[in-house]
Amino acid sequence: MKNLSKNTRNGLFLLIGTAFGFLLSRAGATDPAMIGKLLLLQNLHLLWVIATAVLVGGVLNLAAKIWHWRSLATGQPLSFPHKPFVRALVPGAILFGIGWGLTGVCPGTAPAMLGEGQWFVAVILVGIVIGTWLVGFVQHAWHRHQQRQRAESVRAS
Amino acid sequence: MNTDPTWLTSLWQSADALWPAWVAGAAIGVLAFGQRWLTDQPLGCSAAFGNACARLGSRLPLFQSNAHGTHTDWKLWFLVGIFLGGLLASLSNGSFAAPSHFGDLYTALMPQDTAARIAWWLFGGVMIGLGSRMAGGCTSGHTINGVAMGSPASIVASAFFFGAALATAQIADWLLRATGALS
Repeated sequence: MKNLSKNTRNGLFLLIGTAFGFLLSRAGATDPAMIGKLLLLQNLHLLWVIATAVLVGGVLNLAAKIWHWRSLATGQPLSFPHKPFVRALVPGAILFGIGWGLTGVCPGTAPAMLGEGQWFVAVILVGIVIGTWLVGFVQHAWHRHQQRQRAESVRAS
Repeated sequence: MNTDPTWLTSLWQSADALWPAWVAGAAIGVLAFGQRWLTDQPLGCSAAFGNACARLGSRLPLFQSNAHGTHTDWKLWFLVGIFLGGLLASLSNGSFAAPSHFGDLYTALMPQDTAARIAWWLFGGVMIGLGSRMAGGCTSGHTINGVAMGSPASIVASAFFFGAALATAQIADWLLRATGALS
């Protein structure tokens, strides 16, 4: 994205986000009742939405890798950065799954739901910010604790 | 394949009619790839809440790190876009500010009292924010983006959050039925 100015880049993401929010809404992903029916396996509409999205995205990614398609912004072949296997991956995924299962809302659908005038999501958005902040807080406290322990073991030896 | 010409206009309008799953899914898949092609950045939503923490003034190292620095504020603009997309979708079919559909499960599960309900949503939100940041992504970053790349960590994360959400809903449904709150 080096070739894009900051404003162009932000505007571009605003547009892509608008399309994404519109699609999430039309897909039914912003309807908690639909999420509830998905998780109780009563209506698999959203499962097929996700499966089609992954399949279509996967085929396009594969084609881009095989034929070295170049990014418009960088002029370089597309990058496919895999997310790392962090230690908190599984416990985090479980906690997120519980929150998602209890409310029928996820971080991507929440802003779209607020845009639709589902005002209760404002509370959930505040919760998501607090939850995110807690990760930063606990991580920092943990690192400081480890540093202190290391310093003490150096002093003891 | 439906060749009825009103089918196309119904994609844009039509009150509570959803797009066929494969149409919405394929469009999301193309959009996710389109973003990669245009910007060379993967699709994702939950990381933007880290940028929000930084912008709200948190000095914690996680939010001062490269992933959430000011040069990645396009993540926040993406969320603003999602908000506008939801607004556009609801205005175009007249569902703006319509009461949410909670369905049988969530209607029975949520507390009746307003203050308790706010606490319930806040708790749910905290779990979502905490869990997705710990796991490094959510349904969009790990599933739509990561699984489509065949990224092993994303496949594991997706399996666990789908499993946990499924189990949570199933257990809640079972408890509500056992106590007679849901019939």
